Amino acid sequence: MQRTPVEPEALPETPAGLDLSGITVRYPGTRADALADVSVAVEPGAIGGLTGRTGAGKSTLALTAAGFVPRVVRARVTGAASVAGIEVLRAPASDVLGRIGIVFATPANQLSASKLSVREELAFGLENLGVPRSEMDARIEATLDRLGIGHLADREPFALSGGEQQRVAIASIVAMGTRVLILDEPTAQLDPFGTTLVADLLEELARDGSAVLVAEQDPAVLARTRRTTVLDHGQVVATADPAVALSPETLEPTGLPSPTIVRLGWMAGLEPAGRFDLDAVSTRLAAAATAGRLRSSVLANEPNGPSATEPWASVRDQAPVSITIEGLSHRYEATALDAIRDVALTIEPGEAVAIVGQNGSGKTTLVKHLNGLLRPSSGRVRIGGEDIATASIDEIAGRVGFVFQSPDDQLFERSVEREIAFGPRNLGLRPDALARAIEMAVEAVALGDVRSTNPYDLDLSRRKLVALAGVLAMDPAVLVLDEPTTGQDPLGIRRVGAVVDRLRAAGRTVVAVTHDMEFAADHFSRVIVMTRGEVVLDGPPAAVFAAERTALLARAGIERPVAARVGERLGLGSTPTEAALLAALSASVH
Amino acid sequence: MTAATGYFRPGHSWLHRRHPLTKVLGLAFVIVAAFLLPPIVLVALLAGVVTIAWSAGLARPLARALRIPALLLLSIIVVNALFFPGAADRLVAIGPVGLSREGLSFGLISAGRLLVAFVASVTFLFTTLADDLLEALVARGASHRVAFVVLAAVQMVPRLQARSRSILDAQQARALPIRGSVIQRARALVPLIGPVVLGSLIDVRERTFALEARGFGARRGRTAYRVVADPPPDRLIRIGLVGAIGAVLVIALTGIAR
Amino acid sequence: MKFDWLRVCAEGQTTDCVGAIQLIYLVAVVVGIVLLALVASRSRDLSTTAISLMPVAIAINIAVGSIVYALRLPIYLDSIGTVLVGVLAGPWAGALTGLLANFIWSILPVPGGAGPTAAFFAPVAGVIGLMAGWWASRGVFRLRADDSRVGGFLALAAGIAGSAIAMLVIQNTIGLSFTFEDNDSQIRFVLLGLLIVAIGVAVAWVSQRTVFAYRDGDPRIAGDLQTATGIAAFALLFVIVRLLFAPTGYFSTINGSDPDGDGPLSAPFGGANLTGLTLTDPTGLIVAIAIGVVVGFLAWQWARRGENARLFPVWIGGLTTGLVAATISAPIAAGVFGGVTGGGTDLLVAAFRTLGLGVFQSAFAQGLTSDPLDKTISYTVVYAILIALPITVRTMFSRGETAVAD
Repeated sequence: MQRTPVEPEALPETPAGLDLSGITVRYPGTRADALADVSVAVEPGAIGGLTGRTGAGKSTLALTAAGFVPRVVRARVTGAASVAGIEVLRAPASDVLGRIGIVFATPANQLSASKLSVREELAFGLENLGVPRSEMDARIEATLDRLGIGHLADREPFALSGGEQQRVAIASIVAMGTRVLILDEPTAQLDPFGTTLVADLLEELARDGSAVLVAEQDPAVLARTRRTTVLDHGQVVATADPAVALSPETLEPTGLPSPTIVRLGWMAGLEPAGRFDLDAVSTRLAAAATAGRLRSSVLANEPNGPSATEPWASVRDQAPVSITIEGLSHRYEATALDAIRDVALTIEPGEAVAIVGQNGSGKTTLVKHLNGLLRPSSGRVRIGGEDIATASIDEIAGRVGFVFQSPDDQLFERSVEREIAFGPRNLGLRPDALARAIEMAVEAVALGDVRSTNPYDLDLSRRKLVALAGVLAMDPAVLVLDEPTTGQDPLGIRRVGAVVDRLRAAGRTVVAVTHDMEFAADHFSRVIVMTRGEVVLDGPPAAVFAAERTALLARAGIERPVAARVGERLGLGSTPTEAALLAALSASVH
Repeated sequence: MTAATGYFRPGHSWLHRRHPLTKVLGLAFVIVAAFLLPPIVLVALLAGVVTIAWSAGLARPLARALRIPALLLLSIIVVNALFFPGAADRLVAIGPVGLSREGLSFGLISAGRLLVAFVASVTFLFTTLADDLLEALVARGASHRVAFVVLAAVQMVPRLQARSRSILDAQQARALPIRGSVIQRARALVPLIGPVVLGSLIDVRERTFALEARGFGARRGRTAYRVVADPPPDRLIRIGLVGAIGAVLVIALTGIAR
Repeated sequence: MKFDWLRVCAEGQTTDCVGAIQLIYLVAVVVGIVLLALVASRSRDLSTTAISLMPVAIAINIAVGSIVYALRLPIYLDSIGTVLVGVLAGPWAGALTGLLANFIWSILPVPGGAGPTAAFFAPVAGVIGLMAGWWASRGVFRLRADDSRVGGFLALAAGIAGSAIAMLVIQNTIGLSFTFEDNDSQIRFVLLGLLIVAIGVAVAWVSQRTVFAYRDGDPRIAGDLQTATGIAAFALLFVIVRLLFAPTGYFSTINGSDPDGDGPLSAPFGGANLTGLTLTDPTGLIVAIAIGVVVGFLAWQWARRGENARLFPVWIGGLTTGLVAATISAPIAAGVFGGVTGGGTDLLVAAFRTLGLGVFQSAFAQGLTSDPLDKTISYTVVYAILIALPITVRTMFSRGETAVAD
């Protein structure tokens, strides 16, 4: 066997970045270009951002830059792509090896899943490159050190949290000597804490001279890019400083909402450099409001769009119900620890309740009691006054709809429409009611154009919407959502929000577990904060996200929404939503 | 036992220190001898394996592991003792069912062979990490890609089992009944198995990309990170074991022992 | 070549000889090693996609097993993943997946799993993967009711029916028995077995060249598929009714002689005397035929709806896979486990023994009763899932486009 290890010195002397120019990609069997004449460049030492709606071509661009299109994924590609000093479109696969790294969204899929420790996981790539055993330890230690994940070295990769797994995945590519790293929505499935850690790591890599291209939706990551390119329908809308790229003006043609902090800065006429800085935004906002020079945000980017107003119409003559939880505790047999302790709650019909808190605070354990997925160790759960202790999950399903975090745990039909029909059909809906239920559900999440598509041919965010629609079509009196915004793009979040608003307007009850405080503040009438299995705060968003709660929230691992923090800085009282902030601002001026 | 290392129990006993292939040959010898030599040998084999396990400090875990095959061994003995075809020497008889001497001895011998095979296998698994065994095999020419399949599967099993539990939950939450008549339960098969298969297949795409990005498709000489110790006496032990296996085969085929 | 040194025990001989069972072990081990070597040599060409599919498929086998367990269905369905790999990545990948799956099943303390015994059945799992891949390449999962290849499946069905009838006739005239101790009976058993297979092959060969010789788009194909579905349903029901209600059937053995109902045979009917359910001939025969006809007619009607008839080739694929699996697993079950495997199917083994079958025969009969059914259901489930296979996955595998229905 011939051994041709890649020596570190075999890499080009001056590290090359990433330069894609005039890339056009068309997949076989499709009529439109997935990418049309796209040019993106990232120099060594910089992070380049890539954003846009799902299906805009971000993933295609990432796969092309990494050499997977057209080598692994069949497609017709024209243009020039010079990455890490290699012409990736033409170079043989062996040249690309170890030079370009790529990381995708689902943490568990990024690791080899064949190694027992993080150290060995890092060695996996080195083994495949044929790096001599004598060099491996040094390279692994150096990488662990440089990326600050030495404390994970002896952990089992499969037992790590999602954020840790993503960092190990990045490290294992860096260990191979890769200087160009491409990431396709690396934080889509992480909580805010994990997202920050990954973003820190990317900055560290760039500081060290690597070129990083990251396709993202999260402003927390995009804020750290040197330039962000906005894609729409396979074309470049703009390439600019992230604060400019994410402004309402630039995003307008894509229909994407601008992140709150950027939008506020833009409305205040703040120069791009300060638009991610809370203090600068606050100061300038107050000044602009006083001077009456506040720009009005583009209409399409209003957080509460017009679709949210129409109440949900009942298909099954479902009457609103209340939920009563009495002295509820749950103890998992495996850990012998109380996941939730003595929780007592009453939720009235028409309430929308967001349950927030860190991982492991018992949020999901609590809501799993609402439809019998978990049974109380002690205490009682009543839905509409009836104790559900003896009812089976599928019996409760007629009244309580539960949307799981991962849509892939339930999708199995060959088309979106059939998938949505599964639940209501199990409930025994008659054909005309069934058709109406499907129609309403499809329309509520705006999946009309893909109703005959296979759900798995859609991206994760739309798969989540299919799963939501599948439960909506059952017309539940109570809708429970587990992390509805994780893995969702901004437009999807807005659609989920509209569904919550409409159900609320019809007197239905919505309970959601979420990490997204802005989502909680915008669409929910009540926020419950949990820490270590107990409810520590319970009230309307304005009360829970008030300035005096900051310390308590911090202990629960929660950062208040941007609008609330800006309101606090301006002394406007508690303004958990952007609408409340702007209203308070204009009231204070007059 | 964590899910990813199976039966393996970390330790530094003399048995742990043997090269994995030495232990594979030892296991092969015990199994071949158990199934090919006359039943009387079983007693000696069992005693030998138990002594080895005991000397490696594994007596207690071995005893605990015996409950795994207990039901199987019991049913082999009971079913054969009670329902032995053409049994002549009936000890007790109730209708068509009857305890027969032939059945009892056939059942005992079958169960004994399995018991020896099981005890030897578990002792092997207790002291050998799959990663070491596969790395040793790869070093001797086995495909590292096949070795990868085994190691990845071992980690994938608990993940997919957790997933199938979530799927059971999710589909019941969509009003799918999983109790009721056989036909009703059979109808639940596709809604339950479908997401397991399709959801995993979607993941395969990303996993393939991730593997390619880590150079897994590289057709160049692979090096190994894991170092598998091969102490000097092991070579001799292996030669001895190969000889012993050969001897058992000769004895069995030529019928010397009968 | 002389085999004098190989002293197979003659009738009654117990010393200075090799038992037939020991010989079976050796042959099985040699066959297993050859299979393993073949698979290993082929596996070097597997794509990275196939390699990353295989661990998932192995885990699917086990996960589906636990779903079926949760549903409390009396089937295994423990080879869904193996069949899937055969379909998507080819026969050799399927075979490798099956082999490895059973080894992994052995080394993992999976609750409800088969324990270390699964490794002995690795060759069976390997062959299941091999056959699934082969059948998929013949198009079982994508045949439309106007494809001329359907003829091959109908001919095969005819062949299986021919063999079954021949076996029944021989069983009831010359007799078909096998004992390890009696060399003459062994030779007769093997010869008659070959005769039965030969009759089946002849029927299949002739029918493929005559009645089932279609051209693509032939309108007869759909009709014949529907008829075949009806006849198959008739035959199945007839056999089941006979097995239960015939004068020597299952219910005739539940005669109340086991008052506690803890005998493996009468477990569900403790102490009950069900001999009253036994139907004497000819009444029993007429009842069996009548039930068969009614169900056959319903199946025929069902097959006329939509694309339902497309399932017929799928079932033939599953049935044959099950037959082969049973043939390979019987000697393993008989030789290694004394015919008992510690699972629910041991009830069947005990039942067959009470009916007078030997160790090997009852293991084989148990396999013939449960494996074809199990594999047929497996194939049906895989077919139902493959219908919903997204384009993303289909284009990932070289065989995705050719082996899967659209």
